[in-house]
Amino acid sequence: MRINQQVYRFLNSEHLVPAVFIILSFFAWQFSGLSGTFVLNQVITRFIRDGILVLSLIIPVVAGMGLNFAITVGAMAVQTALLIVIGYQVEGIPGIVLVIIMGVFLSALLGYLIGRILNRVKGKEMITTIIIGFLFNSIYQLIFLVGFGTLIDVPNKDIILTRGIGVRNTVDLGMYRDTIDKLWLLKVGGIELPLFMILVVLIFAGFVFYILRTRLGQEVKAIGSNTETSEVLGIDTRMIRIKVMILSTVLAAFGQLAYLQNIGMFDVYTAHLNTGIISCAALLAGGASIKSAKIRHALIGIFLFHTLFIVSPQAGQNLFNNAALGEYFRSFVAYGTIALALIFNVKHENK
Amino acid sequence: MKTILEISNLKKSYKGIVALNNINLSINAGEIHGIVGANGAGKTTLMNILFGNPIIHETGGYQGEIIYQGKTISFKNCKEAIDNGIGMVHQEFALIPDMTVGENIKLGREKTFAFTDRLFGRQFSFIDRKHNDESARQTLKQLGISLDPGIKIFDLSINLRQFVEIAREIDRNNLKLLILDEPTAVLNKNDALKFIEILRGMSKRDIGILFISHRLEEVQNICDRVSVLRDGKLVAQYERGEFSINTLARDMIGHIVTKAAAAKRKIPPRPIISFKHFAVEMPGEEIKDLDLSVYEGEIIGLTSLSGHGKLALGYGMMGIYPIRGEVCYADIKLLKMDAKENILQGIYVLPDDRQDLGILADQSVENNIIFTGNQIKNMFRKKSLLPFSGFIDHSQSRKHVDKMIQDFDIKCTSLNQKVKELSGGNQQKVCIARALTVDPRLLFVAEPTRGVDISAKEKILHMLLEINRSRNTTIVIASSELEELKRICDRIAVMVEGRIFKILSPDASDEDFGLALSGEGGVEHEKF
Repeated sequence: MRINQQVYRFLNSEHLVPAVFIILSFFAWQFSGLSGTFVLNQVITRFIRDGILVLSLIIPVVAGMGLNFAITVGAMAVQTALLIVIGYQVEGIPGIVLVIIMGVFLSALLGYLIGRILNRVKGKEMITTIIIGFLFNSIYQLIFLVGFGTLIDVPNKDIILTRGIGVRNTVDLGMYRDTIDKLWLLKVGGIELPLFMILVVLIFAGFVFYILRTRLGQEVKAIGSNTETSEVLGIDTRMIRIKVMILSTVLAAFGQLAYLQNIGMFDVYTAHLNTGIISCAALLAGGASIKSAKIRHALIGIFLFHTLFIVSPQAGQNLFNNAALGEYFRSFVAYGTIALALIFNVKHENK
Repeated sequence: MKTILEISNLKKSYKGIVALNNINLSINAGEIHGIVGANGAGKTTLMNILFGNPIIHETGGYQGEIIYQGKTISFKNCKEAIDNGIGMVHQEFALIPDMTVGENIKLGREKTFAFTDRLFGRQFSFIDRKHNDESARQTLKQLGISLDPGIKIFDLSINLRQFVEIAREIDRNNLKLLILDEPTAVLNKNDALKFIEILRGMSKRDIGILFISHRLEEVQNICDRVSVLRDGKLVAQYERGEFSINTLARDMIGHIVTKAAAAKRKIPPRPIISFKHFAVEMPGEEIKDLDLSVYEGEIIGLTSLSGHGKLALGYGMMGIYPIRGEVCYADIKLLKMDAKENILQGIYVLPDDRQDLGILADQSVENNIIFTGNQIKNMFRKKSLLPFSGFIDHSQSRKHVDKMIQDFDIKCTSLNQKVKELSGGNQQKVCIARALTVDPRLLFVAEPTRGVDISAKEKILHMLLEINRSRNTTIVIASSELEELKRICDRIAVMVEGRIFKILSPDASDEDFGLALSGEGGVEHEKF
């Protein structure tokens, strides 16, 4: 029984999952009958919409804490900030600035809390972050479903349900829609390139790149490789892990802000629910594993994952003549990616 | 001379078991102070206390007083110790395998750009990688090693890792006290000599050095003072010139050690395994072109300087690194190295990397000893009707393990004790016992006595001799301890640059070996 060395190496390399995605996307695109321009425009929109969220996952992976599903908490932090600002009717630039300040403050605080919790469950971070996400989701829903209008009086009655308690399902962000998204718009044929937002995503990518090459970044890498050894080398592992979670949660808050302003409206109770899963799937699609993630994995992954994400429902519908089936394809793609990547991308630790 | 460390009445116990009892010790600036003691004598505990290992604090701290540079200290973690200028070279290496040599040497002390320093503060400042690599290269050069700082640690051989570990500590400029835990255990003689020169240089810079070693001649050569620990007590302290190796050995063990030595004999040249143009691609320890026949029933030693390939043979046989060339075992050609296949055919390999590849650290002594036999050869299995459903027949396996524990004097509380709780020497004995369980025809052993105290060392050598004589098992020992090889081997092959340079008789003089190791002394290859 002889296994070809090259094939063997490929099966164990980070190229496998992206390769599977390219092949699947190509066939799905063929069956979907969508035009290339349409798909590309959609993918670019998703890139600027989800880019920062995916990038926020990288640092925890490097720190050996696995995929941080608790980025939903960062998303909820910025949504809370948004609701407060809209509720108190702060408009225009001061409103945006206030959202950012409150969002960063709140997400840093929550990140610290998550970091403290994760220090107690070393080795089981991923499952803990999933549960933390669910827990904060219910607290968040409680606050806005029951708290607003009763304990917290909000001047802006437009966002409150007619019964006077709780926030409406959907809050319009019309004032932000198509502002910075259309800044520096470049049209090449039928393809629209929102240069400003692409630049913003790249700046955040640069930020992650920078952090990983600082003193802190070195320590993060050391912890990711071996916690006990790092401890002996004089690294305060607990503190570094807390800092990692703060960074990740704050980045996620920025990510969710970019996401919401791009969509232009805001499903108060559901907008954040899938951010964790979708972002993790995108990162893994780019070739990352739960032990190693690089910026290129995030950037490539968004393109690959969302291409399949966009074309698969249409392909499903065309193949099986059933519109409902299309939606199933999406969740199949998302969870399938994570499962596939978890299986294939576990790298040989010492090779 | 100025005293930098003063330990008085130090006591430490773990759950009522006394590890250190009433230790009084002082170390001067610029002094090399040797600490010797058998395994379990309390050396590790002493180091953990000095270096602020959190385990001390978690297990209830210690009694007594430690005055370091005029202040009473009680470190809660290693960071405090490091910040105060205490450095440590760890026996099991505190290196991050995924990081490069340069990154490891500079970790925590990276040079960053001044501009970002001012802008974001030191922790968020961008690292000047080129500068760090260059500086790491310089430090390595001080050690007499030219190594590319861009190589990752897991691509290095164990010897080179040791040098990187040492370089990391030497590179620190606030260093006042350096604790060395068996720093030369994995180095061969030449490298160890080089290393000792460096230590002398450091002591001239007024750095106090605490030198813990099993190699008594080194202790005799370089230490200004030596303290002997036995069972947690300080039993003797000598100034330079006041002691001999024998006095140290006696104080350590409390009784005289009998040395294993084999009677000379003639082995008929019937090859059991022969290698032709054999190559193993193990980074840092590559075998390039090996031609060797091992005769049935002999013990053959394999020695070389670090990085010249002696360790790679065993790894090649386990299939851990890719191989090329021809291997003929008992008239069968081995095309592919597969550990399971090889064990079934009677080849067993004991690697030098005991922690990662030798033992199942969290498993019991019993499981460790029967594991291979049970898994590969289906031994110790209860009879059952269904295939794959057999439970382990503990009455059978316990009998076997008990016999092994008795025969080889494995020191453990019971056969259920976890192997990671045993000392290095006893772990090695467990490994050998496991090998014996499958009763191999051909046994590869690498560095069997590394990091093991004297009395256990002799036991292990005895074991190997015993196995060879009573079961006619052919043994290939790769080791840098020439003196040990000379005592038990029938032939000793010296490797240079991944090739067999010369095969010498164990009676050959040290000079001959020295020349062969450095690749000199005639090119005529003995026919084999």
